[in-house]
Amino acid sequence: MTTLHLGVLLAIAWAVLTMTFLHLKAKSYGIRKLYSKPAGDPAKGVVYAFTLGMAPWAKESVMMNLPSYGAGLAFHAGVLTALGLLPVAAFRLELPSFVLFSVRLFTLAGVVGGFVLLMKRLVNPQLRGLSCPDDFVSNILGSTFALLAFAWTLSPVAEVPWMAEAMLLLIYAPLGKIRHCLFFFTTRYHLGAFFGRRGTFPPGGRFHA
Amino acid sequence: MPELDELETRLVGLTETDIQRGLEVFRSKLKAAEASYLNSCVHCGLCADSCHYHRMDSTLENIPAHKLELISSVFKRNFTAMGRIAPGLVGAKPFNREMAKAWVDAVFGRCSLCGRCSVNCTIGIALPRIFRAARAALGTMGLVPTDLQATVDNSLKHGNNMAVTKDDWVETVQWIEEELQTETGDPGAKIPLDKQGAKVLFTVNPREPKFFPLSLLASAKVFWAAREDWTLASDNGWDLTNYGLFNCNDEQAGAITQNLVDAMERLGCQTLVIGECGHGYGAARWEGPEWLRKSYPFEVKSILELMDEYLRAGRIRLDSSKNPIPVTLHDPCNLVRHGGICEAQRRVLRQAVDSFIEMTPNREHNFCCGGGGGQLAMARYKQRRIRSGGMKAKQIRESGAKIVVAPCHNCIDQLMELNKEYKLNVQIKTVAEMVADALVLDA
Ligand code: SF4
Ligand code: SF4
Repeated sequence: MTTLHLGVLLAIAWAVLTMTFLHLKAKSYGIRKLYSKPAGDPAKGVVYAFTLGMAPWAKESVMMNLPSYGAGLAFHAGVLTALGLLPVAAFRLELPSFVLFSVRLFTLAGVVGGFVLLMKRLVNPQLRGLSCPDDFVSNILGSTFALLAFAWTLSPVAEVPWMAEAMLLLIYAPLGKIRHCLFFFTTRYHLGAFFGRRGTFPPGGRFHA
Repeated sequence: MPELDELETRLVGLTETDIQRGLEVFRSKLKAAEASYLNSCVHCGLCADSCHYHRMDSTLENIPAHKLELISSVFKRNFTAMGRIAPGLVGAKPFNREMAKAWVDAVFGRCSLCGRCSVNCTIGIALPRIFRAARAALGTMGLVPTDLQATVDNSLKHGNNMAVTKDDWVETVQWIEEELQTETGDPGAKIPLDKQGAKVLFTVNPREPKFFPLSLLASAKVFWAAREDWTLASDNGWDLTNYGLFNCNDEQAGAITQNLVDAMERLGCQTLVIGECGHGYGAARWEGPEWLRKSYPFEVKSILELMDEYLRAGRIRLDSSKNPIPVTLHDPCNLVRHGGICEAQRRVLRQAVDSFIEMTPNREHNFCCGGGGGQLAMARYKQRRIRSGGMKAKQIRESGAKIVVAPCHNCIDQLMELNKEYKLNVQIKTVAEMVADALVLDA
């Protein structure tokens, strides 16, 4: 393990610790005590929110924006693959060729997805209006991270910039919107519990008739 | 527009103390769920077209995430480290007069709290929970639109939101009772008032005695056919509405709910039955116990559930051929998406009418009619309300139905306006009206 790898490890520790702090901070707002009689099971609502409730066909917003949804999926797949590649680089592991091929495919898809989303954010006036600098910084950090991971699979020369980029990404993650990698789960949990308790989730209907 | 001036005047007169108080109230409404929601939006914009406001008028201001951002930017600035250290980077903004004005416009003027964006949000943010916290904060700063607040004040002062006097109410009930006797041919048919120990305390929207007595007559006919042991309250406790759900003043909302609880206790009833009203059901069934911070010692049901039970138990029989005209169903947001009552009304309607056509989309994906969230009580936003209702008008037209059934008197008001504005040429009825028309009466 090189000094660079150690730096990445420290950045991971920072990300984990600050995310834990953010989680505890949000939790410290307290849990609402509920007095109304439940009509459904919050647990079932949570399960639905994390499974079928995330399916494209369960959301009109996704069906109306399939290219963006696809780009988002690709972007996230690319960034997660690049993250998964970090220990491979640190411990100099050999990847079987089909895994290496998949890694290249996902990271490249991540770059393309990130680029598409960035362009959309720049070009679409409404999306631009919704955005703050953090949106651009987060996208660029994620896309570059996936791009350098892809480059590393082709040449070890990319390792230094990739590790440096990994540190930047991990240090920045809890500070900006990348924190949604934590809050996505808590938010979906709360949404599922809310609608589950009220008997709306799991639903009987679809947005298409 | 005098209302506009009044609100503007209050905005101009805001002091630093008002703003601080608003922030404090806002903070007090946040629990772990809301703190999570306020940290979650990724500005993907996919929620835009889930909102009927944006669907009918695609401006940035109508995107749910933009409305949310106005609030989360203040949250970040005041309650997060990054918002204090690098506000420009994360879009954190101070809460000041300009921001308060933007909040009013967003949460009162461009949102019916319908929650359609929640089920469509990529992350799963229940946006109305945040909008409600913002409304509460604005309320404490005196920034609730006057006519909405007046509706709440009516309930607090008169026990019903239309200031119907006890004499008028009792007289109307007696008159409807006579109609019931004529219609059923049963001189013993009653609309009981203050019947001690009745099983069911039935509650109605004051629009029924005021403008839609046939709705109350229809419900009474169904109870009569089912031989229900029921009553109405002659005084406080007959009005199911609660606009405290919309001004988001929990104390006032709780006081209005207390009328129902007191009536249940006074009359010794077992089940509180909420007539056809979306927000009334949401307020009494779901929010009421939270406002009062106690569980009810009785059950709360919608009349839709009750009619469904009657049919299942064979307590009433229906002849659907009595309703031959094609019918579609509107799903009130507070009853369906936020209320969890999705199927009872469908089971009932399928037996009550010959041709039942689902609107698309429906159930938890339904579009708000545009009249929810207190919009009907806020005259200053009327144009936006009618315009945003265009989505519902489109759904109705595409269904091809000639009767729209809406189990909510607020929705019915909005649908009647949409009917006129968008030349839909449909009849608008309640579920009970369809059931009453289809009843098979024993000889
Ligand atoms: S709650 Fe309804 S009206 Fe409000 S922003 Fe969301 S979709 Fe629009
Ligand atoms: S869909 Fe959800 S995460 Fe995306 S912009 Fe809308 S509110 Fe934010």
